[in-house]
Amino acid sequence: MRNKKNEFPAWIKTAVGLALGLTGFLIPLLVHFDGLSFAGHLTLGIFLIAASFWMLEPIPIYSTSMLVIFLQIVLLSSQGPLYNNASLTPATVQTVEGEAQQWLVPESAVRDGSVWLYQGTNRSERVAVEIIASADGFTRVQSETLGDGTSIVSDAGNRLVGYTPANYTTFLGTLANPIIILFLGGFMLAAAAVKYNLDKNLTSVLLKPFGSKPMFIILGLMLVTAVLSAFMSNTATTAMMMTVAIPIALQVSKEDKFRIMLALSIPIAANLGGMATPIGTPPNAIVISALNQQGLGIAFGTWMMIAVPLVIVLLMVAWGLMRILYPPTLTEFKLKLDSSFDRSIKAKFMYGVFALTVLLWVTEAQHGIPSGMVAFLPVMALTVSSVLEKEDIRNLPWEVLWLVAGGISLGLSMENTGLAVWLVSSISWDVLPQILLLLVFGFVALMLSNFLSNTVTATLLIPLAVSMATSGIAGEGFSLVISAVMIGMACNMAMLLPISTPPNAIAMSTGYIKTGDMVKIGSIIGILGLFIALFFAVFFWPLFLL
Amino acid sequence: MADIFILCVEDEPEVLDVIVRDLSALEEFFPIEMAVSAEEAREIISEIEKQGDKIGLAICDHVMPGDKGVDLMIEMQKTDFTRRTRKVLLTGQAGLDATIEAVNHARLNRYIAKPWEPSKLLEIARDELTAYVIEQEKNLLPYMEALNAEKLQEEIRKRGSVSDY
Repeated sequence: MRNKKNEFPAWIKTAVGLALGLTGFLIPLLVHFDGLSFAGHLTLGIFLIAASFWMLEPIPIYSTSMLVIFLQIVLLSSQGPLYNNASLTPATVQTVEGEAQQWLVPESAVRDGSVWLYQGTNRSERVAVEIIASADGFTRVQSETLGDGTSIVSDAGNRLVGYTPANYTTFLGTLANPIIILFLGGFMLAAAAVKYNLDKNLTSVLLKPFGSKPMFIILGLMLVTAVLSAFMSNTATTAMMMTVAIPIALQVSKEDKFRIMLALSIPIAANLGGMATPIGTPPNAIVISALNQQGLGIAFGTWMMIAVPLVIVLLMVAWGLMRILYPPTLTEFKLKLDSSFDRSIKAKFMYGVFALTVLLWVTEAQHGIPSGMVAFLPVMALTVSSVLEKEDIRNLPWEVLWLVAGGISLGLSMENTGLAVWLVSSISWDVLPQILLLLVFGFVALMLSNFLSNTVTATLLIPLAVSMATSGIAGEGFSLVISAVMIGMACNMAMLLPISTPPNAIAMSTGYIKTGDMVKIGSIIGILGLFIALFFAVFFWPLFLL
Repeated sequence: MADIFILCVEDEPEVLDVIVRDLSALEEFFPIEMAVSAEEAREIISEIEKQGDKIGLAICDHVMPGDKGVDLMIEMQKTDFTRRTRKVLLTGQAGLDATIEAVNHARLNRYIAKPWEPSKLLEIARDELTAYVIEQEKNLLPYMEALNAEKLQEEIRKRGSVSDY
C-alpha cells in the first residue's frame, strides 16, 4: 500500500508493548502486596505480561496464550522449579495459661493478620487471627478457630502458603478442555461446509424467500448471516456473505447509500450471530468454561434460549436503524441465487453429520449428553469418512483454540492463587445493587472489546466476576451465571471500529463505508444492546439460568 | 508492507502515457513505473528489488528498439524476483512466432492487441493483479477496494485462514 506516511510506526507499539509487559511481569516479583500469596504475586506477573501483550500485541495474541501456559507450567505447577521441592513444615499451637481462645504461635507463622492451618505438605488454609502481642520469637494471637494442638504452618512466608500447586497437566490439559473440543467440532463442521460449498448453497436457498426489495434483501442477508455465524466463525461467514453482497452493491452507483447499508449489515449480523450459540464465537467459550469450573454448566440449548431472542431483537434494532440512516433509493434488485448442492456420497454424509450434530447440541438438555462429547462426533465422522483430509485438518484455525486455552489456563490460576479475589476485594462491591453491577461489567466489557480482541476481554474480566461470586464480595443476590453471560454478550456487541472485530475489518476493506458510518451505527448498537441485554438479564435470563 | 508495482514498458511516449492514464484508477494502490525500453525496464526492476518492493504486473510492448518485449518477459520469467509477476503483452505487430515464444517461455498471462479499449486494459490489469495478490499475499484485505473484491472474498472464504479472536 502506498499510504505509508500516516502509519503509526509499528515498532513503537511493539517496543511499548514489550517494555510494559516485562515491567508488569517484574513488578510483583519485586514488590510485596499485602494479602496476596506468593503464587498470587507470580500470577499477577503473568496476568500483567499477558494483558500488556494482548492489548498492544507486540506478539500475536495466540502466542501470548502459549507464553501464559508456558509461564504457568514453569512457575506455578507442582513440578516446576519453584514448587517441586517446596514443602510446608508444621508447628503446634500452644495454649496460653489463663486466657481462653488465645494461643502462642511462632512469630514467623503470622503474616498479614493471618495464620495458615497445616493440612499436609503442600496444602494450607488461611485463618484470620487477632494479634495480641509478640515476644521471644512467639506471637500471642486470639482466634476461635484454633484449638489446643492445632497444626499450623510454621513459616507464613513459605511459597506454598495460600496456594496448592496444580499439576502441570492441568495447564496443558486446557487444550483438551471440553469447550475446546466443542469448538474443534464446530471448526471441523464449518471447514467441511465450506469445502463442499454448503454455506453458499444454504445462503442461496435461504435468501430466496426475501425477494428483491432492498429492505427485504438486507433483512434476509442479516438473518442468514446471523444463522450461519452462529455455527461458523463470524469472520468466515462475513467473507462468504460479502461474495453475495458485492454483486448487489455493483448494481448501484458509488454514491448510493445502499452500499453502506449492504457493507454494514453483514458484519453487524455476523457479530451478533456469534452470540447465539456456545460455538458462535470464542468469548462464549471463556464464559462457559469458567462457569463449568464452578460447577455451573450451561447446556447448548439453554444458551440458545437466552441468546437467540436477544440476537433477534438486536438484529431488528440494527435493521430499523439502518433503514432510517440509509434509506435505499432503488426499489428492486436482481439477485443471482443459484444453488447447486453437492450430491456426492461424501457430501451427503457430511450433511447428515452436520444435521445430527446440531440436533444433538440443541437438545442437550433433553438427552443429557454434554455438547463437548457430541462435538467429537463430527471430529470422528468427518475424518473417518475422509470428508476432511490431512490438508483440511492442518488448515483449521488452531491458533484460536490456543488463544482460548491460554485464557482458560490463566483463569484457573487467577482463581486458585487468590489473585482474582485480591484484585476485586479493594472495592466494596456489595453497596452496588446487582443491576448496577451488571451494567458496570457490561459497559467495561463493551468498551474494552471495542479495542481489544473479544476473547481477550472475556479472559480478563470473567475471572473477576467469578471471584466476586465465590468470595461473596459482591454481596447477596449476585448471580455469577448472569454476570458472566452478560460479560460474554457485551464482548460480542462491540462493533464500533474496524479494529473491533475481524468482520468489521472485512467490511471496511471494501471501501463502501467510512469509519464514521461504522462508529455511528456501532455506538448506537453497543449502547442500546447493553441496555436491552440488561433488561433480558433481569427479567428473562433468570427463568432459564437460576 | 512492500509496495506492489505495475511496470509499463513501451517505446512510444504517447502510447505509454495512454497506458498509464488508463490504469490511473489503480495507481493509488499500485504505484506505476514507466520504461521506454527493455534496458530501462531492467534498471527499474533492480531498483524495485533493492527497495524490497514487488512487481505485480508488467505490461509490455513487443516491438521496441533494442531488446524486444518478448525477450524481456522471458528474462523476467527466468529471474526469481519477477517469475510471479503477471505478464501482459500489449502489441500490434508481434508475429505468430514471437507470440508463441512469449506464451511458451515467458508464461505470458494475457495478450492485448493494439488498439485497445481503455476499460478493457483496466479490467485486465485488475484481474491479473487480483490473481497475483491471491497467489502471493497472505492478507488480502488491503486490496479489496482496488481489485476484484468478490474474488478476493471468495479466496478468503476458501483459505479458511480467517478466524474470530
